[in-house]
Amino acid sequence: MPKQLLQGNQAIAMAAEVAGLKFFAGYPITPASEIIHEMVNKKHIKVLQMEDEIASLNAVIGASLAGLKAMTATSGPGFSLMQESIGLAHMMEVPLVIVNVQRVGPSTGMPTLPAQGDVIQCIHGSHGDYFPIVFYPNSVFELYKFTVNAFNAAEESMSPVILLSDGYISHLYETIIPHRDFDIKKRDRQPLGAGNRHFTGLSHEDSLPKTSDIDNYRRLITRLHEKQQLTAQRYNDYEYIECSKDTDTLLISYGALSRIAYHFKDTFSLYRPIRMFPVVEEIKIIAPRYKRIIIMEMNTGQYAHEIERILHREVEFIPILGGRIDLVEINQKLLGVNHDRRP
Amino acid sequence: MNKDTGFKRYLKIDLLPTPWCPGCGNGIVLKTICQAFDELNLPKNGTVVVSGIGCAGRSAGFFDLDSVHTAHGRAIPVAEGIKYANDALNVVVVSGDGDLLGIGGNHLLHAIRRNTNITVICYANEIYGMTGGQVSPTTPHGTKTLTTPNGNQDQPANVQSLFKHHNCYYARTTAYHLNHMKKCITEALKFNGFSFVEARTMCIVNYGRRLGYKNSNEMLLHYKEFYKVNDNATELAQNEIGIIKSAS
Repeated sequence: MPKQLLQGNQAIAMAAEVAGLKFFAGYPITPASEIIHEMVNKKHIKVLQMEDEIASLNAVIGASLAGLKAMTATSGPGFSLMQESIGLAHMMEVPLVIVNVQRVGPSTGMPTLPAQGDVIQCIHGSHGDYFPIVFYPNSVFELYKFTVNAFNAAEESMSPVILLSDGYISHLYETIIPHRDFDIKKRDRQPLGAGNRHFTGLSHEDSLPKTSDIDNYRRLITRLHEKQQLTAQRYNDYEYIECSKDTDTLLISYGALSRIAYHFKDTFSLYRPIRMFPVVEEIKIIAPRYKRIIIMEMNTGQYAHEIERILHREVEFIPILGGRIDLVEINQKLLGVNHDRRP
Repeated sequence: MNKDTGFKRYLKIDLLPTPWCPGCGNGIVLKTICQAFDELNLPKNGTVVVSGIGCAGRSAGFFDLDSVHTAHGRAIPVAEGIKYANDALNVVVVSGDGDLLGIGGNHLLHAIRRNTNITVICYANEIYGMTGGQVSPTTPHGTKTLTTPNGNQDQPANVQSLFKHHNCYYARTTAYHLNHMKKCITEALKFNGFSFVEARTMCIVNYGRRLGYKNSNEMLLHYKEFYKVNDNATELAQNEIGIIKSAS
């Protein structure tokens, strides 16, 4: 397999094809549009440009129920529009993949600049309780690899899996070897048109809506939760780099921002979650070794709260807002050192 | 009647009764859809029903076919996803006017433009019935509802006008005109392209009752007196029912 220079979004599209994607529906949005541009040129993938992101995700749900591996790609504003149907797909147990290339929000924000503001929206954006699996790679090769993993996890959990990216890594060009050495999961469920099943967003049991059976609802939510946990365990992906020197500090970051964290590997130990949700349990083993935990993210503390909740302890937090990833600024914030020149 | 023949084979008879109020017209439309399926002998494996949310949306679960009960307003894009994924399937959307024309109106507009080969059957009862009786996209001007205590200030949706200049199928019919409804639905299912049947049906409990109708039969009789069949029109008047196959 020869090396290829690929953009992050191109790598996502290429990997989706490897994973068996047959249907793509989407709506143009910066910085995710390159994904649909790539898709329309692929022979065996049906592509629909829908009227909005709501229609896009719903068309994907329909296609997935009809037996095809399906996905959509968007950015924050579109992801917000999709939230209701994400809940639907969890309730109906529809496998699909949603790529969210994050940009600065809220609202229209700064469309061309990267952010990490949709982290909590991934797990709490829709109403009710649901337990999505969320991956957030930090390189072009990882986008490639975890796109395939996202499709596999979707089939295993029979649920929507979210692949987070951001305007930085999706627009980054890197040389990768786009290998095809993956175990691709196949669909277990018969496609639509093969029986008399009823797929509904209502609380249900065996195709029957049960709108006032409280015990059944509790059983349903428990089953959905356990199913997600079970699948997630197969993807315990994180990166932990122990500092070569003595340090009492663990620096946590992810996505685009974690790339700059490598610069501090001789000062701090580094931890990077790749499977963002459900939170990888290993952090509970790693964290107690450190007196200080610093979380750096491109939002006002979305994952920091999650880590505090998991670890039952306070963490220090550095928000990097507005889409600028600048080593001088981060150096200053992390070490209190004011460099007057770029490294 | 034999379980394997006739319109009943398309229904999960065991699940009856439906959750609909006594006097509701939805059952008439549901039965007529099944009769149309029967007339065309649609294969049970190979036909999929998709619905949205609301009273009419609950229809989907009563079909003895694979069915999908989507989020509010999203039946059409889900149906389009199914159809584009597997062209061999007959895909039928059943939902209410609030679902299809209100919250899901944008999707209807674009399904017409794409001319997706699916059939949409709209139970148009002029009201949001399930939520208690609020004004809906088909409520006539001046009508009192829970949210229009002084009468509806707006005009009802002129659905047929959306179909002008598109190679689509539009029909309007009522729950009184059973044979006409069956014909409208059968023709819609046979139509190669996007087809839409606006089936006027009555909601007595959360609508007609407040307008002075004593029972749903009176509402049916109103349909009988008010609507005239005109199957050769290029445009239907407000008091006409009929089929329009547009040609651009």
